[in-house]
Amino acid sequence: MKTTRTLFQDGDHKWLAIVRDPDKPGYLIDTNEYLITHGERGLLLDPGGAEIFPAVFSALSAEFDPSALTGIFASHQDPDICSSLALWLEFNPGMRCYVSWLWASFLPHFGGTGDTFVAIPDEGMEIPVDGLMLQAIPAHYLHASGNFHLYDKLARLLFSGDVGAALLPPGRDGLFVEDFDAHIRHAEAFHKRWMGSNEAKRQWCERVSGMAIDMLCPQHGAIYTGRDVERFINWFAELPVGITGG
Amino acid sequence: MSAALLPAVAAKPSGAAADLLRIVTINEQIKRVVGVSFKINIMALNAIFLAKRAGTAALGFGVLSNELRVFSRDLRNCMEALTGLIHDCVNEVSISLRNGRQDRLLAEVGQAGAAAALLGRVLQQRAAERDGHVRRLAALRRQLKRALDDAFQMVELGGVLAKSAKIEAAYGQSFAPSLAQVSGEFDGIVEEIRGSLEALRRSPFFAAH
Repeated sequence: MKTTRTLFQDGDHKWLAIVRDPDKPGYLIDTNEYLITHGERGLLLDPGGAEIFPAVFSALSAEFDPSALTGIFASHQDPDICSSLALWLEFNPGMRCYVSWLWASFLPHFGGTGDTFVAIPDEGMEIPVDGLMLQAIPAHYLHASGNFHLYDKLARLLFSGDVGAALLPPGRDGLFVEDFDAHIRHAEAFHKRWMGSNEAKRQWCERVSGMAIDMLCPQHGAIYTGRDVERFINWFAELPVGITGG
Repeated sequence: MSAALLPAVAAKPSGAAADLLRIVTINEQIKRVVGVSFKINIMALNAIFLAKRAGTAALGFGVLSNELRVFSRDLRNCMEALTGLIHDCVNEVSISLRNGRQDRLLAEVGQAGAAAALLGRVLQQRAAERDGHVRRLAALRRQLKRALDDAFQMVELGGVLAKSAKIEAAYGQSFAPSLAQVSGEFDGIVEEIRGSLEALRRSPFFAAH
């Protein structure tokens, strides 16, 4: 089963990371799921693939009533992001799924109906959770052509999807980046290959460098905190992307 | 590659997956019967022209050729209805396959003991839906079986027509050898369809349930 770690808490406003399942088969890529709760409600970010649903659900429900989830935020359309959608909907069929308009008619292949999906326009939008307004930040072509990150300005946390992801070797599974230089080596090949556009990358770096971010939370690997957030943005700005074999 | 080295995916499928394979086999047989019934139609047309050339000596043969043409059309209609039922069966079995995977994942949640009351309600609702799908598939199985039995009866009649045509051919005077050849071909093809339908009626898709 996965474990939950609290990243932020201020009264009833909370960020939980659902991470690291020692029983996960090696052929499935490891993913981080995040839960934002506010008041009585919750929003689950990139809930993960169907095969890891039992591990994510069990960990989440130990901390939060799954029927109080009002929404799912899908950064993009990949199976490791949200192929578990149909299973989550079993527990709350009225749940909404926020995703780029580009994928709003693709994701129903994973589950849901016409009422399930809220199409996010290219420029982004605000997503409410029991009165808290979260911001969907454009990250198109990083890596999917319709791609969003989620920013919580109260908690100063940015969920960054595949940006910042690192494919960590066995044994290096700490939740937070501790040695940036050592860590970033495991992120380099991933970013060069998965991120498709240098122009999109430049725009994203400009956009997020103007935001107050205490933690940058990727969907794979470790979380960047404090000064490592800025170091990551600078590193990414300099990295040539859209390269095969690199 | 020796059998021992074959990967595990070669293992025999069970349940809904096995049903899906059986349905695919039935559908392939139905496609073959449709092809053969088209052949009967062309042959019947030729036989009608031949009977016209033979004149009064092949009046009976001409009537039977017309009947065989009607038979081929009815058979094709019957096969189209069967194809529709097959499509419905594929739909139901596909839902069972998808639900089976989801049930497995939800059962894993149950083993971990998470959100027991909420999970219990969801599982109960899914069980009711599963029962509904099982009932619908059982009804489709029965419908398909009945439709196959009807098709088989129709082919039995086609066999009688083909055999009657063989008898009529004997009265065809100078055309008798040609008419005998055509009626013999009719008989052979109808027998082929009969064999196919008989095999379909014995399909494990019906026997297993």
